[in-house]
Amino acid sequence: MTTLAVKRNDMAFCPGCSHGMVLEHLSSAFDRMGLAPTDVCIVSDIGCVGISDRYLDCHTFHGLHGRSITYAEGIKRAKPDTTVVVLIGDGGCGIGTAHLVHAARRGADINVVVCNNFNFGMTGGQHSATTPQCALTTTTPDGSTDYPFDICQTAAVSGASYVGRFTAFDADMPAHLEKAIRTRGFALIDVWELCVAYYTERNHLNRKTLTELADSMDMPLGEIRNNPKSRNMAASPTPRKNHPTPEDDKNGRISPPELLWPRRTEFCVAGSAGQRIRSAVGVVGDIAVAAGLFAAQQDDFPITVRRGHSVSNLILSDSPINYTGVDNAELLLVLTEDGVRRIQDWDQFSPEAIVFADADLELPPTSARIERVDRKAVEKSAGKASGALALLAFAIVKGKWMDPETFRNIAASGARGKYRDQNLEAIRFGIDLANTGS
Amino acid sequence: MREFITGNQAIVRGAVRAGCNFVAGYPITPASSILNEIVRAFADGSGTVVQTEDEIAAIGQCIGAAMTGAKVLTATSGPGISLYSENIGLAQMGETPIVIVDCQRMGPATGGATATGDGDVMFARHVTSGSYPIPVLAATDAMSAYRLTYEAFNIAERLRTPVILLSSKAIAMTRQTVDLESVELPAAITRQRATSNGTFQPYHVDHPSDVPDFAPIGGSQRVRFTGSIHGEDGVLTIDRKKIDAKLKHLNAKIVGNAASLELVEADLDDSAETLVISYGLADGAAREAVKQSREHGNLVSHLTIFSLWPVPEIALRAAITPSIRRVIVPELNLGLYVEEIRKQVPGVLIESIQRIDGGLIYPQRIVDAIEQIEINAARGEEQLR
Repeated sequence: MTTLAVKRNDMAFCPGCSHGMVLEHLSSAFDRMGLAPTDVCIVSDIGCVGISDRYLDCHTFHGLHGRSITYAEGIKRAKPDTTVVVLIGDGGCGIGTAHLVHAARRGADINVVVCNNFNFGMTGGQHSATTPQCALTTTTPDGSTDYPFDICQTAAVSGASYVGRFTAFDADMPAHLEKAIRTRGFALIDVWELCVAYYTERNHLNRKTLTELADSMDMPLGEIRNNPKSRNMAASPTPRKNHPTPEDDKNGRISPPELLWPRRTEFCVAGSAGQRIRSAVGVVGDIAVAAGLFAAQQDDFPITVRRGHSVSNLILSDSPINYTGVDNAELLLVLTEDGVRRIQDWDQFSPEAIVFADADLELPPTSARIERVDRKAVEKSAGKASGALALLAFAIVKGKWMDPETFRNIAASGARGKYRDQNLEAIRFGIDLANTGS
Repeated sequence: MREFITGNQAIVRGAVRAGCNFVAGYPITPASSILNEIVRAFADGSGTVVQTEDEIAAIGQCIGAAMTGAKVLTATSGPGISLYSENIGLAQMGETPIVIVDCQRMGPATGGATATGDGDVMFARHVTSGSYPIPVLAATDAMSAYRLTYEAFNIAERLRTPVILLSSKAIAMTRQTVDLESVELPAAITRQRATSNGTFQPYHVDHPSDVPDFAPIGGSQRVRFTGSIHGEDGVLTIDRKKIDAKLKHLNAKIVGNAASLELVEADLDDSAETLVISYGLADGAAREAVKQSREHGNLVSHLTIFSLWPVPEIALRAAITPSIRRVIVPELNLGLYVEEIRKQVPGVLIESIQRIDGGLIYPQRIVDAIEQIEINAARGEEQLR
């Protein structure tokens, strides 16, 4: 009993309550396993059994109602050498069912001991998730109508490695607990108990009839699952390579050419999901930043993919960008009807702004200059995935925001990532298109 | 080296730089990419990351891991912060260092998942029962998100407290130009460890504003952690003296160290009559407006607040130079934090500029306010609103 700080009679549990027995069983199990008190952490929460931590000489963590399993999993993940035991009641199992199910699914290497006495003792005998049908509690004066929660089956079908259901009076409990703790992965023991304060006051239940109750509810006592081969989170995956950090600029940084965005310029590309609009704008942003400019990119898209609008805004400037809103776009590239609809302020554009719009699109009235582009033809020649970037490069050169030579140079030194060659090809296509004037 | 990254990426970089080695989270727009990026950052085994069944489990696992000594972070948005609420109280009571990122959306409930706002500034301060103080930082852009994430870890470790870092959709998912290497950061702080002499009292402090020494769960000294009111031994208590001492300590270790938590940027002009005070999303527009208004020949001071709670009283008072007559406070909410500023600087005319529809405050609105104030000041008008 090396992890027990007090004797059972000195514990504050009601006379006849089974919780003290469970603490003794646990302590015996630790002794059998040769675990020192500081090898063990007991995680508990709200409910009568939650007052146990003061009687235990090991590490103790006492948290919020029903959340013990979450703390235990965090402790075990961060400190795998510690034996982590969750000590909760049937109330905690009810409010925290999701944690029980998903910790079992993940193979969390923790051990859950449920002190199941079929009702809420601490708050005065209300029904819990495990209250048998027809049982009387303060909130079911005519008998409980709900089907009782089968904790063990739930844990078992969720992938637990070890599951057992025993009564607190089972003399072999320390051995059962040892087996559960030694089994790698998620282990759960449902310990059936007597709540002498409330439950046995109203319902005929005693040490003997606990077994009958198990039979009547078709919840047999004994070992229910013992499959150490279940998934165990401790078997961590092989470490992968560190994620790629931004590549060093091998070609060295080139200083921003004069007249290259000597001030803040706002661009907007609007079209449909799937046109790689965000990545096209991102490529131009990357290139500009690599060339020493400042950029900001804000995207607008629905939560779905390949459906609906896709709008990407880009600000380029030779000085740091304080305000990242795009309110006065000078270059608008509009590729589809989705894009036309998403732009709300067509009447706000200045006469200096240029709208590059697909030839097929009907545009709302605007004072901006309109240039037509043949999106489909560009997509056909440059490739569908490269259409947006090719047209953006075309528009940038055509609108004289950048001269073709500078654009080519900074693209070659600044483009990066998996699609570098493809992106450079799209930019070259757009620049050539602008140069030939077609 | 300049890079083009989102606010969420900047937060991950700041966390890794601070030594973060445990993250648990549940996906939610606009915070989700923090979890994605952490999975990549920890792929080399430098940390543990888990996607949990819900937000309650996310912060629960973080608190458990933090009490074994891990440096932990979790990120979510307003709906998730609501679910974190009770566990934030647990972290307060148990004195658990944890960095909580709130990528704010617009409005209550599901609100505008992809719309932006700064509506959680009061919620962050009063996020859990009891109303004991929590340090709250607010990023203004990707660069400050990086720096403040790092600072948040330092505060969390130094004071053993949850720290909330506010970001918002328009920072989280906007790519901006940053040069992270150019950011000067203080040394990374790791919580003070207990010596192994004698019996370990997990919550012992000599003075209310001190921070208890830490020993890890699973270590050689027995640790008691509890969300119930407790004495220095970590055991539930009904002793009023102990209760009073514990709760006063929870307040004093934040409030008593408030001066060291002040993070601001003051761009003051000794002759200015107008002071713009900004934080969060409105700060970019405020910077731009101050720049433009100065180009128009106006004398304007600007104070950016990065540490919202505790209110940086020293910096606020210092920004009210003798010539300041009026203060303009733009905010992406119904004018929430301006009330705190009113408390701090009585007798100064304060104008609130607000926007709540998911759009940004235009710099021009602030310029107009600055210049309108100048005109009104010339007329000797005392009331603006």
